[in-house]
Amino acid sequence: MRNIFIIWRKELKDALRDKRTLMAMIVMPMVLMPLIIIGMFKLIDYQMQQAEKQVVKVAVENKKNDSDLVEFISSQENLEIVNISLDLEAAVKEKAVDLAIIVPEDIEDRIKKQEVIKIEVIEHSLNDRSDIALGKVNQAVTAYNKQVLESRFKDQGISGNILSGVVIEKRDVATKEEIGGFGLGFLLPLLIVMWANVGGQYIAIDVSAGEKERKTLESLLLTPVKRLEIVFGKFLAVSTSALTSVVISLVSIYIAINQFGFKIEENIDKSVQNTASGAGGFAMDFSIEPAALLVIFAVSILLVLVFSAILLSISIFAKSYKEAQNYLGPSYMIIILPVVIVNSIPNFKPPLALFAVPAVNTILLFKEILVGAYDWGHIAITVGSLAISALLAIWTATKIYSNEKVLFRV
Amino acid sequence: MLMNNRESLIQVNNLSKKFNGFVAVDSISFETKAGEIFGLLGPNGAGKTTTLRITSSILQPTSGSVEVCGCDVVKDSQKVRENIGILTTEIGVYDRFTGRENLAYFGELYGLGREQLDDRIEVLSKLLDMQEFLDRKAGTYSTGMKQKLAIARSIIHDPQVVILDEPTTGLDVLASLTVVDFMRMEKKAGKSVILSTHRMSDAEKLCDRVAIMHKGKLIDLDTVKGLLRKTKTVDLEEAFLKMINNK
Repeated sequence: MRNIFIIWRKELKDALRDKRTLMAMIVMPMVLMPLIIIGMFKLIDYQMQQAEKQVVKVAVENKKNDSDLVEFISSQENLEIVNISLDLEAAVKEKAVDLAIIVPEDIEDRIKKQEVIKIEVIEHSLNDRSDIALGKVNQAVTAYNKQVLESRFKDQGISGNILSGVVIEKRDVATKEEIGGFGLGFLLPLLIVMWANVGGQYIAIDVSAGEKERKTLESLLLTPVKRLEIVFGKFLAVSTSALTSVVISLVSIYIAINQFGFKIEENIDKSVQNTASGAGGFAMDFSIEPAALLVIFAVSILLVLVFSAILLSISIFAKSYKEAQNYLGPSYMIIILPVVIVNSIPNFKPPLALFAVPAVNTILLFKEILVGAYDWGHIAITVGSLAISALLAIWTATKIYSNEKVLFRV
Repeated sequence: MLMNNRESLIQVNNLSKKFNGFVAVDSISFETKAGEIFGLLGPNGAGKTTTLRITSSILQPTSGSVEVCGCDVVKDSQKVRENIGILTTEIGVYDRFTGRENLAYFGELYGLGREQLDDRIEVLSKLLDMQEFLDRKAGTYSTGMKQKLAIARSIIHDPQVVILDEPTTGLDVLASLTVVDFMRMEKKAGKSVILSTHRMSDAEKLCDRVAIMHKGKLIDLDTVKGLLRKTKTVDLEEAFLKMINNK
């Protein structure tokens, strides 16, 4: 035990003095992820505001009519009615205007005669601004239509309320916590899985391939310390580093969301109300239940142990730092891919067997727990699978460290 | 001869080592005693380093046996390592640690207590004249300084057997001198010193007995004088060439 502690302490001290390891273990998870997340929020916010401010140009044929409808349309916020001498279709195609409307010349007559009024709209479906303009025109026409209908009913002595036959009143049973949990379900597994790998990579390379490259490994193997103790000391150092990264990234992302997240949420809420394209609310509560936190933390530790042992086993094969980096680089992709896939399938119902696959099970389990669904069977399978994988990986690492062909592959 | 009365610290019996069918060491036997410098001579690839790695228990023999201070290198490898100190050509030290931290780490791994370790570092740094740079990061050391640190590290636990594998390769005159002085000092202290080298002049100057290795085989074992007499030559280099040609 004493030797394991001595090696663990030495490797961590050594790592803390190495800029590369320090960057990967502490600085990157602390700064990089919050920056990306905040940047993403800010970008969405910015785009929403831009869309809101954007003035769309609509050309109207037969503008001379100066009908109520055209007035209605032109009263829409950030919409400008423009005169155009070109052919309307050409104007829309060339993006001289975003939308063109053809109002029948006899619109006033038709209203009086209570006839159907057809309005032709020319849009460019590949032009975002055209979409926005269409939305605004739609809103104006719907409102105008209601007005026309109301006056027609009135003429016949019927109340305008008759138009509101069936109305929808929406109530969301998903609590703010659940919506928050769903949002975290995208973010948290990604962060944990990523930093459990990245946070341990540099130190794993440094303590194995790095030690080979610097020619200190043989001196270490010459001490009376057992191979198992050497592997365990190094393994625990890698795990400590990876776990530190995970914790730091979670704490910093939590602070970042608390500091910046809610301000954005308010803005987005406002802009959602104001724009025609209702892109769903961002109202989230990012508080996590203590029980969920406990399970997530325990499972994260197991995941870190599995990754650390695998990283250590792979990097001892390499002759040099560079070679080890070449081996471990792609591992990042292999780990991140399932997260991305699982995240991109809507309403994904994972088969039970997936909970036995390390890393993938962690992602699935976290997503469940974050929306408050505790399936103890899933938790048990995940914990069991991770624990077995961790033991297997450590055992393999020890075997590799006892293999003279690998150690002296110079 | 006086030497026969001394304690035998290393015993190598019919040792062989194969790597994927290639015979690196071919049934060799020898023993070394306390208070002598024993030379293991031969060109690169003769099997010297493999022999020493097996002796220090980091490689396993294919057949035969090696005992260090009465302990078998396979069955009792931990005890063997406690009694052996090795200095290799490839000096690696932890660059981000100071000399003192380097020594302390290995001292702890050899099981020394805090006080014992402090005393030992004090003694060794005086002995090897390291006081001036001991508390600087090892990454800033010159080759000579690194060599001194590596020597101190290899004997931090005061082992009975000291093995030096091509210890002067790549060193300048002054650094080489440090190594030579160190070997003489260890011999005086009653340790068994093994010097493995391809430099005949070093061996001639230092060794009490020499084993000549060639292509994994031990082709002769005698005192330097004895070898010169047998081959009727005046220096070891000539003697070595003659022995190889005779084979």
